[in-house]
Amino acid sequence: MDLNTVTGYRRARTRADLALGPGERILGGGTWLYSEPQLDTTGLVDLTTMGWAPLTRTDEGLSIAATCTIAELLAHPDRPPLAVECANALLASSTIWTVATVGGNVCRAFAAAGMVALCAALDGVALVWAPSGGGRHDYRIPVAELATGNGTTSLAPGEVLRALEIPARVLAARTAFRKIALAELGRSGAVLTGRVDPGGEAVFVITAATASPTVLRYPALPGAAALRADVDAAVGYYTDPLGSADWRRQVSGVLLEEIRQELA
Amino acid sequence: MRIELTVNGVAREADDVWEGESLLYALRERLGLPGSKNACEQGECGSCTVYLDGAPVCACLVAAGQAQGREVTTVEGLAGDGLDPVQQAFVEKGAVQCGFCTPGFLMSTKDLLDRDPAPSDPEIREALAGNLCRCTGYEKILDAVRTAAANR
Ligand SMILES: Cc1cc2nc3c(=O)[nH]c(=O)nc-3n(C[C@H](O)[C@H](O)[C@H](O)COP(=O)(O)OP(=O)(O)OC[C@H]3O[C@@H](n4cnc5c(N)ncnc54)[C@H](O)[C@@H]3O)c2cc1C
Ligand code: FES
Ligand code: FES
Repeated sequence: MDLNTVTGYRRARTRADLALGPGERILGGGTWLYSEPQLDTTGLVDLTTMGWAPLTRTDEGLSIAATCTIAELLAHPDRPPLAVECANALLASSTIWTVATVGGNVCRAFAAAGMVALCAALDGVALVWAPSGGGRHDYRIPVAELATGNGTTSLAPGEVLRALEIPARVLAARTAFRKIALAELGRSGAVLTGRVDPGGEAVFVITAATASPTVLRYPALPGAAALRADVDAAVGYYTDPLGSADWRRQVSGVLLEEIRQELA
Repeated sequence: MRIELTVNGVAREADDVWEGESLLYALRERLGLPGSKNACEQGECGSCTVYLDGAPVCACLVAAGQAQGREVTTVEGLAGDGLDPVQQAFVEKGAVQCGFCTPGFLMSTKDLLDRDPAPSDPEIREALAGNLCRCTGYEKILDAVRTAAANR
């Protein structure tokens, strides 16, 4: 929809352009910003004109630019494991994938944010650019901690997500995925991932069922009872029209057990 | 602000685009291309589907400013000398009632068949999942897509 409160539009070319004035907001793909009125927004700063390479492979792993679109991520030969599954966990159709950015999805941080699920599943770390001046510095934070609730993040005003970094050690991991929604192509009620690293460490992640990512780590694949106990003890299961908290807890237990068996 | 873009193969410019405007508004109200429809204006119904640099997008969710320097194809650009086979199939199969959703279905169907000339029914359903029709009940639309695939 047209954003009637917006009276300014700047195309960012340099880091200095990312200093936000009052009422200004970063524009990624715009698929959330343009989907509802933004009454507190008077200016947009287009991040997609920064010219960042969508995905870079380094010795440390993968660096996914915040401006990488979901379509670019999926089309890239170096895309990380679980990318397709997590993109499919979005309700959005391919018309959204074409322009929606990975960074926009993480910063919007809905419980059912597929790119939060992906990053949390792979120990993804967010590289955050602090606004210049004011004594603040750039920093890195695990995406699982950056997403603090259903639609909330730890980002301070003016901070910009620059990239999402996936460590090399997880790229060779064995992974498994499950999701459930009330309708076949409906919004995800629970998204579950599992990963066993080459060294044997096992990591299970719940998103969409809990308001922020729940990460369960084990030195080796746990037994069924231990995993189930941890799933039941997790906090943050929530109730909305797409499922009750009890249902979300129950399906998370059942589907993570399927994942555990698949990875055994 | 001014935006310069290529629409249906022709270089165009739009003046007085206001900063919060969507690409959909710019196409319909400034460039005289009302084929793309504004129904939900929130990315749910697909009636505003156009191609941006060849890939389908919901024009209602794209900032007009982000179309600067890019190529846009609208439903008006689908037909050549005659109707595109996808359009022809929608006519033949009566896949249109009020017609509000039709431009979006045509664009999504053509995109699907360009990628996959012989899609299965589940693939058609998935590809058209971002397009809603309140009139036809979808069966005739599915018929039209199958016909278009067969006729291409
Ligand atoms: C039909 C439909 C279905 C959808 N389904 C889902 C779904 O299932 N799950 C889901 O999570 N979302 C969904 N969305 C919402 C949205 O499309 C996605 O979250 C999308 O990934 C957002 O990315 P974007 O680049 O379009 O973000 P934008 O709309 O551009 O931005 C989103 C927010 O993040 C901020 N932002 C963007 N990039 C940065 C950055 N690099 N640094 C700091 N702040 C930034 C913006 O200021 C804004 O507040 C859906 C939307 C539609 C229209
Ligand atoms: S008007 Fe754009 S998706 Fe409905
Ligand atoms: S024909 Fe009326 S909405 Fe589809």
